[in-house]
Amino acid sequence: MTPRLTIFASLAAALSLSACGQSSEQAPAGQAAGEGVVNVYSARHYDVDQRLYEMFTEATGVRVNRIEGSAPQLIARMQSEGAASPADVFVAADAGALWRAQEAGLLAPVASDILNAAVPENLRDPEGRWFGFQRRARVVAYDTAKVQPSEVDTYEEIAGPRFRGKLCVRSSDNVYNLSLVGALIEAWGAEKTAEWARGIVANLARQPEGGDRDQIRAVGAGVCEIALTNSYYYIRMAAGDDAGDRSVTQTVKLGFPSLDGQGAHVNISGGGVATNAPNREAAIRFLEFLASPEAQTLVSQENGEYPASPNVAVPAPTSAYADFNAHPMSVAAFGPRQSEAQALMTAAGWR
Amino acid sequence: MLALLASLAAVVALLPLVGVAAAALSGETAAIPARDILRYGATSAALAGLVAVLTGVVGSLAAWLVVMHRFPGRDIFAWALALPLAAPAFAVAYAYADLFDVAGGLRIWMRADLGFDLPFEMRTLPGAAFILSCAFYPYVYLAMRAAFVNQSAQALEAARALGCTPQQAFRRVALPLARPALAAGVALAVMETLADYGAVQFLSVQTLTTGVVRAWFVFGSLTSAAQFALPLLGAAALLLWIERWGRGGRGYENANARWRPLPVTSLRGGKAAAAAVFCFSLIGFGLLLPAGWLAFAFLDVTPDWPRLIQAGANSLTLATAGAVVTVALATGLALGSARVPHLARLASLGYATPGAVMAIGLLVPAAMVWRLAPGAAQGFGAGLILLVYAYAARLMAAALEPVDAGLSRVTPNMVHAARSLGRSEGGAAWTVQLPIARGALLTAGLVVFIDILKELPATLILRPFNFDTLAVIADNYARDERLANAGWPALLIVLIALPAVIWLTRKIAASRPGDPA
Repeated sequence: MTPRLTIFASLAAALSLSACGQSSEQAPAGQAAGEGVVNVYSARHYDVDQRLYEMFTEATGVRVNRIEGSAPQLIARMQSEGAASPADVFVAADAGALWRAQEAGLLAPVASDILNAAVPENLRDPEGRWFGFQRRARVVAYDTAKVQPSEVDTYEEIAGPRFRGKLCVRSSDNVYNLSLVGALIEAWGAEKTAEWARGIVANLARQPEGGDRDQIRAVGAGVCEIALTNSYYYIRMAAGDDAGDRSVTQTVKLGFPSLDGQGAHVNISGGGVATNAPNREAAIRFLEFLASPEAQTLVSQENGEYPASPNVAVPAPTSAYADFNAHPMSVAAFGPRQSEAQALMTAAGWR
Repeated sequence: MLALLASLAAVVALLPLVGVAAAALSGETAAIPARDILRYGATSAALAGLVAVLTGVVGSLAAWLVVMHRFPGRDIFAWALALPLAAPAFAVAYAYADLFDVAGGLRIWMRADLGFDLPFEMRTLPGAAFILSCAFYPYVYLAMRAAFVNQSAQALEAARALGCTPQQAFRRVALPLARPALAAGVALAVMETLADYGAVQFLSVQTLTTGVVRAWFVFGSLTSAAQFALPLLGAAALLLWIERWGRGGRGYENANARWRPLPVTSLRGGKAAAAAVFCFSLIGFGLLLPAGWLAFAFLDVTPDWPRLIQAGANSLTLATAGAVVTVALATGLALGSARVPHLARLASLGYATPGAVMAIGLLVPAAMVWRLAPGAAQGFGAGLILLVYAYAARLMAAALEPVDAGLSRVTPNMVHAARSLGRSEGGAAWTVQLPIARGALLTAGLVVFIDILKELPATLILRPFNFDTLAVIADNYARDERLANAGWPALLIVLIALPAVIWLTRKIAASRPGDPA
């Protein structure tokens, strides 16, 4: 063979090889719609989600097709697909993201007694367009050598003069920060929240960088005394495989500040049924499965989030950090405030 | 017919950019203060400037050392210096951010046992510039190496005869003569910097891409996101023009040179050691240290092997199919560009467009497909075709440059001879031009292949159900702050890309014309 032919032949071989590897695993074309399938667009892609999908298929015989990505990308894709969208279920790890899908008209109301019974009213959309299956609290990791738990038991204190130059937090466009600040606006109004955001900026030990886990580790390394973080990042570090991370959690502890004496700010991960879902029945069954005690328990155990249902016991290792009051604010309240929150944080100089 | 093919290729590449422009003109804008936009813009410009200087200096110096000097390891360095092309910028960023993290083992140990801390942070503008320069300097190196290998021995000898030291000959003769290649290489590095999706976001350095993501993700405004892209598109167009100008000037200087061996200097002692250390440290910083650190820090994590193997097969399939299609289209574009000269330039814009913006633009042609053929378009095969299309649109420039260079070696006389012997335009291309440019086509294919292995934004937003690539898996883990799990997929990308890079660089490291083979 001439060199050119060799190249073509090997390209063709590589193509057909990998194409063969594909066919046994993948759904055949056109199978995206039809009986026995549910198409999940998920912005939550933990390893445990894969196991959940398998459990669902085992229990119901319904196969799960998934596309994973960030929530805004998946929303943009569903919008582009329009009425032709194969999406049945949209899953996201923040009430703000779910609100955005709802706002774009991508989620349809669902009236399910099972879902309404399993998910407390403040953790779902009043019209049933999305439901929370897990809760996470946005709280404080503090250096036990320098900080008393009583110094971080309100959100005001975090922005107060006690912690000038002693705080680590990630950038303002992170959706967890947006939702927290949205909740503060809801509780306090814009003026007090703006002052709070200025206090946060004054307290920064360094410009925002990295994720929540990086902030916790920075506390451990002495860069700052306190950090804002979602609860499950700390719990994963404390219960994880990384010895360095575990040792950080020896000296850094999790504090649960209270908002107006009513408890810590909580957010959800959850999902809803797509407006144009070709498999609506299967989609509702899928959500009901995610709301089931075994699914809630499994995610809680593997990912460090809290079950949404008050009657599902928090499993270890998460249970060690479950003794706190959660603010009863509806998580539907802060989604619409994201843009306002961003503008306010930016004005305060929170990058 | 060739003009038709070229137009088709150009439409393929331009459709997403039209989509971006359309998005920029419609819908609601986000309330992002002008002060922030200026800051993002300034950061982008500073990052691009730093990367340009760093890659320009380091890449030129390495090329000069390797071409004009003899020192231990030179023959290996000559091709190994391009190996960092195999490491995706985001993987290099994961590794350095973790290795030099203020709360990482290294810095804790330094503070505790050595009593001092490093005075720099990776998650800053200079850190990002360092990381991207590590990843992108090979573009400059390869361009400069080619220029130096092909430079005129007479000019250098004349300079020496007129009393220049070797350093002066480099500064006053070789470097000015190689300026077009330098511009071309640096333009490529800067375009990659502007288009970067995973690394800068991961390092939370706030560039215009941050503006795009913030407008889109926080304010839900694709319009503002697209508007942020317009200055970047302008910058891309400018860089492409520079790059073109660079290649345009390369041909003439040696038109009548007689090929004589270059006056190679043997380095001894300290100088030889310094040259070897310099070259080795480039490979070390660009590939060995980041890949080694990912391996050392994260390989005790047991990955989900079946999933990773499947993703590896997917990456390989996409990269192969994408390379074939992109090169075919780029070849059509190059062959037809004599007829429609501006198309080629426009079609290259996708390469320097930030990934986040390109994702917005790609949804436009995708939406047409999805809405026109709802059932079939969501099928697995159709999804892959859409992805391959997206790669062609994004990476057309990467293929077009080498293809164009290869085809320009076919003189018009040869084509005219074929035509006068009765071949059609297409027939002449098939029997004369393409066989002569074979090597260039292969080079283009490999470049695209390597780029697709590392590609993120298009894959993230357009892929079909149950389909992951290694880059997607790594990115998802990094976003979940499970960096340890991102180690394996990132390393696998390097492992798959390495043979292609080695093959490519050994080929490019071809000898000087006239040298015994």
